[in-house]
Amino acid sequence: MNGDRPMRNPEQGDKTFFIKIQCSLVLAALVSVLGGCSQKKGQETANANTQVVIALEGDIDSFNPLFAEDVAAGEINDLFFPGLTTSRFDTVLGVLEYEPSLAKSWEYENGNKDIRFHLQTNARWQDSTKMKAKDVEISYELYADTSVASIRQASVDGLRRTSSGSLDVSKAVEVVDDSTILFHFDHPYPGQLFDAGLPILPSHVFQNLPRTSMREQGPSRQPLSAGPFVLKSWKPLEEIVITSNPLSVVPHSAKLSEVIFRIIPDYHSRLMQLRAGEVDVLPYIEVEDALELAHKNMSIRIVPLGERFYDAINWNSIDPEEYQRSKGKVLRPHYLFGTARVRKALTLAINRKEIVDSYLRSYGKEAIGPISPLFRWAYNDTLKPLPFDPSLASKLLYEEGWRDTDGDGVLEKDARKFSFALRIPAGNQLRATIASIVQRQLSAMKIRVTIEQVERSVFWSDLMEKKFDACIAGFSVPLQLQLDEWWSSDLERSRFNLTSFRNKRVDEILAGTRRIVKETDHANAWKEFQTILQDEQPCTFLYWMNDLVAVNTRIQGIEMGILGIAYHAGDWYVGDQRADDKAQSK
Amino acid sequence: MNIHRMGKFITKKAASAVVLLFGLMTIIFVIAHAAPGDPVSAMISPKTPASVGQELRHQFGLDQSVFLQYLRWLENALKGNFGFSFSYQRPVVDVLMSFFPNTALLALSAIGLEIILGVALGILAVSYQNSWLDRIINNASLVAYTLPTFWVGLMFLALFSYALGLFPSSQMNSVEAEQLSVAGRCLDLVKHLILPVLTIAVSGAAGIARYFRASLLTVQNAEYVTYARSLGIKKRDIFLFYELPNSIAPVITILGLEIGTLLAGAVVTETIFAWPGIGRLAVLAMLSRDYPLILGCTLVSGIVVIVGNLIADLLYMYVDPRIRLPV
Repeated sequence: MNGDRPMRNPEQGDKTFFIKIQCSLVLAALVSVLGGCSQKKGQETANANTQVVIALEGDIDSFNPLFAEDVAAGEINDLFFPGLTTSRFDTVLGVLEYEPSLAKSWEYENGNKDIRFHLQTNARWQDSTKMKAKDVEISYELYADTSVASIRQASVDGLRRTSSGSLDVSKAVEVVDDSTILFHFDHPYPGQLFDAGLPILPSHVFQNLPRTSMREQGPSRQPLSAGPFVLKSWKPLEEIVITSNPLSVVPHSAKLSEVIFRIIPDYHSRLMQLRAGEVDVLPYIEVEDALELAHKNMSIRIVPLGERFYDAINWNSIDPEEYQRSKGKVLRPHYLFGTARVRKALTLAINRKEIVDSYLRSYGKEAIGPISPLFRWAYNDTLKPLPFDPSLASKLLYEEGWRDTDGDGVLEKDARKFSFALRIPAGNQLRATIASIVQRQLSAMKIRVTIEQVERSVFWSDLMEKKFDACIAGFSVPLQLQLDEWWSSDLERSRFNLTSFRNKRVDEILAGTRRIVKETDHANAWKEFQTILQDEQPCTFLYWMNDLVAVNTRIQGIEMGILGIAYHAGDWYVGDQRADDKAQSK
Repeated sequence: MNIHRMGKFITKKAASAVVLLFGLMTIIFVIAHAAPGDPVSAMISPKTPASVGQELRHQFGLDQSVFLQYLRWLENALKGNFGFSFSYQRPVVDVLMSFFPNTALLALSAIGLEIILGVALGILAVSYQNSWLDRIINNASLVAYTLPTFWVGLMFLALFSYALGLFPSSQMNSVEAEQLSVAGRCLDLVKHLILPVLTIAVSGAAGIARYFRASLLTVQNAEYVTYARSLGIKKRDIFLFYELPNSIAPVITILGLEIGTLLAGAVVTETIFAWPGIGRLAVLAMLSRDYPLILGCTLVSGIVVIVGNLIADLLYMYVDPRIRLPV
């Protein structure tokens, strides 16, 4: 056997064979690893382009403005579907102003109850179809149609109703001719132009779609744009690419060639890609990172969006169990938070300034009420936040009858302990930290707090049904100051009145907003409103948060603010692009 | 193997798989509906008018009893209609079809790497039996086998992506991928694939390495191998024709079991690395209470596990002639 083969050491041969196998297997495993290391070439090519990458935490829900609920979706849709008007926030006066968009001009008629809009005559959808007044009419018909179930249904509430009280959009939004449309409102109010500025949809695409299944139809995924950008591609859970729309005149084609929205769920990955220059815009950056980037990274600037969001500890003023049992008919005061004096004591016992200084630094501000300091005309700057005063808090609680008679370290009254659950939504690290601080500070007051983290949708569903004792929740203030839904005593109408706050004078002030034409006419009433809330302390208002966006300095022309991150993104340009454009036009 | 008998065997397995899937879907349907919250409250903002929520519940059939919803879902499923995804507003089948290839790519690459690494390490350990290398492989694979996938993923991310910047931290391709050549795009994909695949494969490869080593050592001490050696057959031939086929059976068993673990790992790995696959889709479906999509993801996972195990059974029978199909 093997006599005709050259002799060799069999052990040596076997070892070589095994080493060969091992090497080839290991090499096969590593080929892909090494192969992946060739890079950068494409990146350089992309960087030469006028392309901007924005990092998003999650995917968007729809490209259909009738249904898009997601904030990012709303901002992207605004770049596709122009409204009759566009808003601008005057930061000096703190008021919302309106500028022409699809409508080049407008005039008020019939004692300010009607507005006649004159449309641009050269505006076109991306398929070259002309934009007409009929697009406006159909859009508002769809927004109003209950079978469509648009999320913007409430925006048409101000339109004129028939004598029976029903809304007939074909009569309220009247097509005069192809480029003129007349809006009939029920009465003059400050937000008329806001409500007339909803995104306009292409009637030739939408009018024949089945109303009850409109969410499922193609336009939710393939929008037809008339704005500065058009959708190039949408890879769910990956990226959305929008490109400049050469046909747009509302207001014009985007200066950037492309904007890519990359979906990167992990915050640290987003931050790393920003640092590496792979991402140009990173919304909602954390304060610590913003401070570090602002000091160390010259190629990144931090843009504060403005104090539009506040967090508060909401004290439920009614007994949640009795409310559930009676199906909302019996409003018995909560045994802990039923009196203003106790609520005030709780506010005094929580060091809000320390929270702001420690966690929000220069990007936050102590809150005194639900009206943002941005609304300069309505904000009551004579009010100061209640101080951190534990001894006064103890005194107030003592006066209310809360004492630690059994010496167990917890206050009691009428055989009931001062003990409650503080609810926070799961996944919000800042609120979790604040809940711990509140727990510690109230513990020093002999108040026992247990923290309950609840899944977000369950958290809100329970809050709406008043199934809680106390919770940390936040709101963004509406750009038109209408706060009935938050503070009206009519709990069926005021879904966000989480604390079940009821006050006659506040109701009068809220009703007053429906009788004015100019928003700033109501300034004094709003200031009084804030004073009442400070006296009553339905919530412990914690802070106004300034959402922060990190932007690569190569991006110019940005107008980020309380109206959004992608606001007027059609005007963004990269580096010296403006100079290049000018040279080209010459 | 007798084709007729194999056909019968597969038919029998398929029939039991249908029953199994039916039970699985029923349990998942009940559990999903028992969870607090509903798709509409997850889908719309609290600021949306309550009437819109009611209309949507009506349109989605969520205003009916759970039992009626189940019957309706079952009726449609039997017709091949798995409903519309609430969050994607598209037929569930379309959504699954757009994400499944990504998971398949990830899973198959991971299985491939597990086999290559596991077998390579097993052979290496046996080649240097009782040496320091053998001990290192043995102990390291024991540690790797016990490591949780999420921890491995985060460590890889921290080390290779954040600290060293060698590999991308997320997604399937780079921003500039479209501008690259086909080869460039493939390389870009491979680059994105490495960390998630390694994350999934580490524990599986460690398991295979340990089982394969033990099996190979047993086979090497078997009488027929000693007999083959005494006949002067080359060691390479002994390895390829005697040792490898007889020691590979435990690897097939592990791979059969590994399919379920692989899918569970994909849920974690796809979420960590933002890989757009069925795992991440399932997590998002659960968070948004997208019942039809949850059921769709479960169905796909169930089918993959059942088919994977069937293939493992058949392979096992192929490599081990002692196991015969039942007559």
